[in-house]
Amino acid sequence: MSVASRIATWWKAVRRPEQLSIEIEDELRFHIEAYATDLMRSGLPREEAFRRARAELGGLAAQKETCREAWGTRAWDELRSDLRYATRMLAKSPGFTAIAIGSLALGIGANTIIFTVTKAILLDKLAVPHPEELRLFAITQGDKGVVHSSWGYFDQTPDGKMLSTSFSYPVYQQLRKHNNALQDIFAFKNYGRLTATVDDKAEVVNSEMVSGNYYRALDVHPILGRPIVDTDDTAPGSSPVLLISYGYWTRRFSRSPDVIGKKIEVNSAPMTIIGVNPPDFTGVFGVQSSPDVFLPFSMQPIAAPKFGSSLLTDQNLWWVMMMGRLKPGVSAEAAQSKLDADLNGAVRATLTVGKDEEMPRLILENGSRGQNEAGGEFAKPIYVLMSLAGFVLLLACANLANLLLARASSRQREMSVRLALGAGRARILRQMLTESLLLSGAGGALGLLLGYAGRNALPHLLSSSWEPTAVDGKFDWMIFGFTAAVSIFTGLLFGLAPAWQATRTQVSSGLKDNAQTATQRKRNLTGKTLVVIQVALSMLLLVGAGLFVRTLMNLNGAHLGFRPDNILLFDLQPQQTRYPDAKGIALYHQVEEKLAAVPGVDSVTLASVPLIANNISNMYFTPDGQPENSNSKGKKKAVDFNTVGADFFKTFQIPMIAGRSFDDTDTETSRKVAIVNQQLVKQFFPNTNPIGKTFMAGDRDNPKRIEIVGICKDAKYESLRRDPPATFYVPYRQQDGAEEMNFAIHTRMQADAIVPSLRSAVASIDKDLPLQDIRTQNEQIEDTTRQERIFASLTSGFGILALILASIGIYGIMAYTVARRTNEIGIRMALGAQSGKVLRMILREASWMAVVGVIAGLGAAVAMARLIASMLFGLKPYDPLTLGCASLLLVLIAIAASWVPAWRAAHVDPIKALRHE
Amino acid sequence: MAPKQNDLLQGTLDMMVLKAVSLGPLHGYGVLLRIQQISGNRLEVQQGSLYPALYRLEHEGWIASEWGQSENNRRAKYYRLTAAGRRRLHTETEKWNHMADAIGAILRATPEEV
Repeated sequence: MSVASRIATWWKAVRRPEQLSIEIEDELRFHIEAYATDLMRSGLPREEAFRRARAELGGLAAQKETCREAWGTRAWDELRSDLRYATRMLAKSPGFTAIAIGSLALGIGANTIIFTVTKAILLDKLAVPHPEELRLFAITQGDKGVVHSSWGYFDQTPDGKMLSTSFSYPVYQQLRKHNNALQDIFAFKNYGRLTATVDDKAEVVNSEMVSGNYYRALDVHPILGRPIVDTDDTAPGSSPVLLISYGYWTRRFSRSPDVIGKKIEVNSAPMTIIGVNPPDFTGVFGVQSSPDVFLPFSMQPIAAPKFGSSLLTDQNLWWVMMMGRLKPGVSAEAAQSKLDADLNGAVRATLTVGKDEEMPRLILENGSRGQNEAGGEFAKPIYVLMSLAGFVLLLACANLANLLLARASSRQREMSVRLALGAGRARILRQMLTESLLLSGAGGALGLLLGYAGRNALPHLLSSSWEPTAVDGKFDWMIFGFTAAVSIFTGLLFGLAPAWQATRTQVSSGLKDNAQTATQRKRNLTGKTLVVIQVALSMLLLVGAGLFVRTLMNLNGAHLGFRPDNILLFDLQPQQTRYPDAKGIALYHQVEEKLAAVPGVDSVTLASVPLIANNISNMYFTPDGQPENSNSKGKKKAVDFNTVGADFFKTFQIPMIAGRSFDDTDTETSRKVAIVNQQLVKQFFPNTNPIGKTFMAGDRDNPKRIEIVGICKDAKYESLRRDPPATFYVPYRQQDGAEEMNFAIHTRMQADAIVPSLRSAVASIDKDLPLQDIRTQNEQIEDTTRQERIFASLTSGFGILALILASIGIYGIMAYTVARRTNEIGIRMALGAQSGKVLRMILREASWMAVVGVIAGLGAAVAMARLIASMLFGLKPYDPLTLGCASLLLVLIAIAASWVPAWRAAHVDPIKALRHE
Repeated sequence: MAPKQNDLLQGTLDMMVLKAVSLGPLHGYGVLLRIQQISGNRLEVQQGSLYPALYRLEHEGWIASEWGQSENNRRAKYYRLTAAGRRRLHTETEKWNHMADAIGAILRATPEEV
């Protein structure tokens, strides 16, 4: 009861203060009249009666305030007056306020943007109920493992084993049948690109293949239509249904409700759309983006055949991913050991285990974020970015603390008066902190706006320029809360030191006219320490910027071994149902010849592995007459290769060193040939001529004997960072089949100008064959360095910011020092010191601070550089050029920033300075 | 001359206001008069602390206020006791009596009883 009335009275006092004030006045006036009337009745004259009544009641203003306070408004009133006062004080010095809020906004905004990306990549969970219950199945196996053939994602464990999340379909069925460790086991696969034809328009869509119990186990309900259920996942082809994602529904069908029941052809297999997924749902593979279509595994042999026969019955290929929800009461470890035993049984039931072969071990990984591929790859860079952004913020805080300290010293008088009038030190501290929090709050609000404006900037930079944006910058309450927390923390951090100083003012000396207090020296030390910290932080940021920029420059200037200019790339993925195996090869040949005839095309070629695309294909390679190729651990070595067209070396201008290039005599029926590069010759045929020699390549079941007919110069393979590996090239026409090929056109025309003719050339052969991922070779290469580019640009921005903040800081403190020491300088000059000497004295002080800061920063920079060594290219972490330039730059900036105050000091008029006393 | 109020604690003023108001709704000045009256003119409340006390009691929810007409048709704010106030008055009175008994016992102690 009393809580309700407390809130009610407090609320009235806060909402309607004027009305309350009037009411109190009326009440007191009534009291005075009544009392005065009584006094008059007892004989006092009117004037006297009223005077006495008023006197006994006490001052009206005081009564009003006490009554108002009785309703619990003290804290609120004090806060309001503090804020009003702080606003007034800040408005009085607009320059300072602008710099302060600006630097805070930049620091907080940078942190907010990077936190947005961090959250999306490292923190966000799958959009299903209770994602923390999900466990992702994985196996580890060593070199002698029983699993040979995999399609999916791999990782290396710390003890050298291979970690994979792929299982064979029969093993999945076995594990599910015997499962009692988890609530249920469902399977999925990020199947990749399929051709979908709706209303006679063909396009490429991303797909996820799911098991019948997928939607049930995840507890995800479509917003339209029905989900895939167990009866859809029985006999192959029995239930040609699929669901589409919300994004695809919006993009392609404009959210029209009659999408349910619509016919859609997937790789020429007729299917029906039966549902639309909820907006946030992205499947279970990853959190960032959603596949467009979700179809049951039973459709795999019909709508998405791969590698020939049905993958559902293939016991050798491990490709399916599995997840399950933990059962309440059963721990993850218990479930894992039970399932490990089940896996053992399942493997023995489906594969023939060789004599020496090891069984794979099962691991249950955290599934709340899916496969988390992006997370693993980006974790380290994100941490580096967050640290750098944090440093920038610290720098801004140090700057502000210094500026506020300088301001506080000029408000000494005011503080002394307050203390003398009876203000408690806590009250003054509270008021000073209100000022700082007001600054940081304004900076934070502006920073939030910056963060919102830039929320798509980083994700945009993270995805390829020809692909739709992978990460959608979601801006939600967590980010808002993060920004608010950072603002408050910042305000307290830089506001505490000046506030503390203010309360330590000595009242008596502060009120005297010239406050030469004994604490002056100490105060300077705090300021100087702050500047040293600022310089050290700037050093860190500058060195970081230098290292990343030079890494990018090194990468861009790396010797490729081929010429990337004037080359246009695109991918073709013919439908396997229409063009299986040899038919596919014939199709490629047809397309190759047709494209060569297009005006503007200098030469055409194909490659199974586009150059510098983070794409690796390798095969076991054993030259005839040499022992089976294995490295010291007894593991068979695989060699990188590329399946290419005849004009490959001509199109990419890779010089031939010996022998011949491919030509028209290398057809499907002629002898199998290959071209190797210098590195391969060095490794496998040292000191001999390999031309004419043969080797065996391919997997154990289907090896081929191939003759070497030429040697080409080394060229980089999948990335700019790796030196050219041993590589061999084989003609595509001598392969059994190829699902997807990358075409390279050498042309001097612009992409927009020539693409339409290329499209019509391909369409004249098959109108349902779209050109995918059209880009230039240079764009492809740039795509692999986008992370380095982001880093170079961000760290340069941070570096420039650091320089600006550091110079403001140094200027600020030198100006303050000179102002405080005007007296002393005046005396020196009166005693005969030259202007030049005074100038040098001030500059020396500034450069001394800078040097100490640089040395401290050097140590930190070297330590930091060691941590990021893996991200650098072409330079050592302690690269002397970068470190030297950064140090020099900072010292010069320090001198430049202190020049104006030093000049002012040197031109102090001694008479004026002494008169000041 | 009645003894001045300064010695009395804030709590007793609250208690007396509650008691005064419990006998019927009153405006502030009326509370003053009534306390004086029922104490047999032995107690005069210091006027400066009256209204803060009234506002405090209203904040706690022990009295409720509403504007009304006084005897001579002037607008005045009247206070009345609430149910919570009645309970509070009761407990405070009991505590006071308890305290008075205890102190009284101490003061009545004669040398022989020790």
